[in-house]
Amino acid sequence: MVDTLLPEGVQPAPSRGALEAGWEEFHRAFERQAVGRLRLGLRAALFVAIWVAPVLIGRVPPITLYGRETRERALEALERSRVYALRQLFGLLKLTVALCYGADPEVRQAIGYPFQHDDPHRVGGP
Amino acid sequence: MIVDGERQMRPIEESFDYVIVGSGAAGATAARVLSDASSSIAVVEEGPAVNAAQFEDRTFPSLRRLYRDMGAQVARGRALIPVLQGRCLGGSTVVNSAIMWRLPEDVWASWDRDHSLGSALPLRELHRHWDQIEEELSVGSTPREVWGGNNSLMERAGRVMGISAGPMRRAVRDCRGSARCQTGCPFDAKQSMAVTYLPHAERRGATLFTRARVDRLGLKGDRAVAVERWLAEAPAGRRYVRLRLHVPKAVAVAASAIHAPGLLRRSGVRSPHIGAHLQVHPGASLIGVFDQPVDMWVGATQGFESDQHRRDGRFKIESVSLSPEMLIARLPGIGPRWARNITQASHMAMWAVDLRAEAEGRVGGRGDRALIRYGPSPRDMANLRAGLRFTAEMLFAAGAREVLPGIHGLPERITRPGDAGLIGSGPDDPRAYAFAISHMFGTARMARRGEAGVVGPDFAVHGVDNLFVVDSSVFPTNTGVNPQLSIMGLAMHAANGIRDRKA
Repeated sequence: MVDTLLPEGVQPAPSRGALEAGWEEFHRAFERQAVGRLRLGLRAALFVAIWVAPVLIGRVPPITLYGRETRERALEALERSRVYALRQLFGLLKLTVALCYGADPEVRQAIGYPFQHDDPHRVGGP
Repeated sequence: MIVDGERQMRPIEESFDYVIVGSGAAGATAARVLSDASSSIAVVEEGPAVNAAQFEDRTFPSLRRLYRDMGAQVARGRALIPVLQGRCLGGSTVVNSAIMWRLPEDVWASWDRDHSLGSALPLRELHRHWDQIEEELSVGSTPREVWGGNNSLMERAGRVMGISAGPMRRAVRDCRGSARCQTGCPFDAKQSMAVTYLPHAERRGATLFTRARVDRLGLKGDRAVAVERWLAEAPAGRRYVRLRLHVPKAVAVAASAIHAPGLLRRSGVRSPHIGAHLQVHPGASLIGVFDQPVDMWVGATQGFESDQHRRDGRFKIESVSLSPEMLIARLPGIGPRWARNITQASHMAMWAVDLRAEAEGRVGGRGDRALIRYGPSPRDMANLRAGLRFTAEMLFAAGAREVLPGIHGLPERITRPGDAGLIGSGPDDPRAYAFAISHMFGTARMARRGEAGVVGPDFAVHGVDNLFVVDSSVFPTNTGVNPQLSIMGLAMHAANGIRDRKA
């Protein structure tokens, strides 16, 4: 499902998707280190994305039954839902994915984030 | 001396002339003043001490280490609005953009007119304090060398539109424009309390207790006599370490407008005004996409502003740079659409509306979690929409090819300047907007009489002789400008009074 949010190879740079940026490891760290309300929120967001999003486009859940195009349509319906709580949860899911994705050194380099003197993960640099 | 509460295994009982609860702008300023008069001072901070070498260029670990609830503290109303606060030695001054505004004279005049506080807070004296603070914190206008693209574009917008806009005044020394204020300045260029007033107090003998949460204050009759318990957090879970700090002279509460009310309640202070009258500055932002690179990660995090409509529209426009993670999270779309937006990140500028909202909320709760009830009023929403429309017009004036509103119910992108009006006529519902709050006021407000507020003109809690609240909780209203310097000026005024009190 996370690879539907940010798939690999749809842009030349960054070409990485969320999974290639280390989502699984990040998710494990998030479960260990995030405060309780964020952990619970992410679990609820994942539940909603998997089990509720397909219903919004008239499909039977879970979302994993479907190909990429349908999954994208389901998640877009979640993002644009009239139900505030669903939008909030989807926003939290995107935020969590972004916390992983935007921290990836290759992604940062591809989007023009400058070299930082104290970055232990830096790619290249002056 | 820094005492790490997490490492304390046995009960401690000590005595200090003064105990200050909280180490942010207000607490550190009080410590700076009082430490010149006495070496017997304790500053108690809930968060850890973190130095520049420990700041990380990644958002997740920074949220974990430096922010309260990892940034997940929220105000509940119709919408859930994040309430951002630093939680480390130096408080929010470690993670803010060091923007320095003196309390506007029109706001001071309203405090005098509506709350009769002019003689309690003499403007001339406040200006004297601000002069001193500005000198000590190297406050100055953001130099052109560190404007970078995001700030420079706002300068262009100001010029094109002929509006009041200029570089922000900030507390920095040799800023390198790394745009990393919000995760802690890795160069100690930002003159946060952690590198200025707290070390000053420490050199004069103050003890800084970190990772130590004040549970309650001990009151005896009409006096505060002790800080009775702390809660220290250990990695393997929570544990209590009982500590008792005797306080023969005074306790100054500087735990923020969000957390001072709970502390006062837990300590047995009674007033219907504790936690009431919460006022804030809700903020919401727009992204402009430009043909040329903007590189918002080069330049001061927040270096330019427009106060054109501060008085008539109750909003101010500020440039703001987000970390890659937070910017990506803010971009619309999923799948290829989100990915395409991400590729444009280096061509984006972000500007925010900081709203002087009229609505009042409430901070409840007695435990260690504040329950914040807040929602903007319909008039606030109208002002917000006007502010966002004005921001969109500024972005187009600066040359943006499109604006990403990030507002539910509006198009994902607006490509024609003439369509900026769509934002002005956007939804009334606050749930359509992505707000954030970082300036909070009024939950222990100052009033001449106890029936109208929590503290008197001398900052002492009504009915308790030596218990003072010295942070923005005492402000009778919000200010409409970034509050750090106002908070510090009032805290300095309060601390001078505490120091000069007769025993």
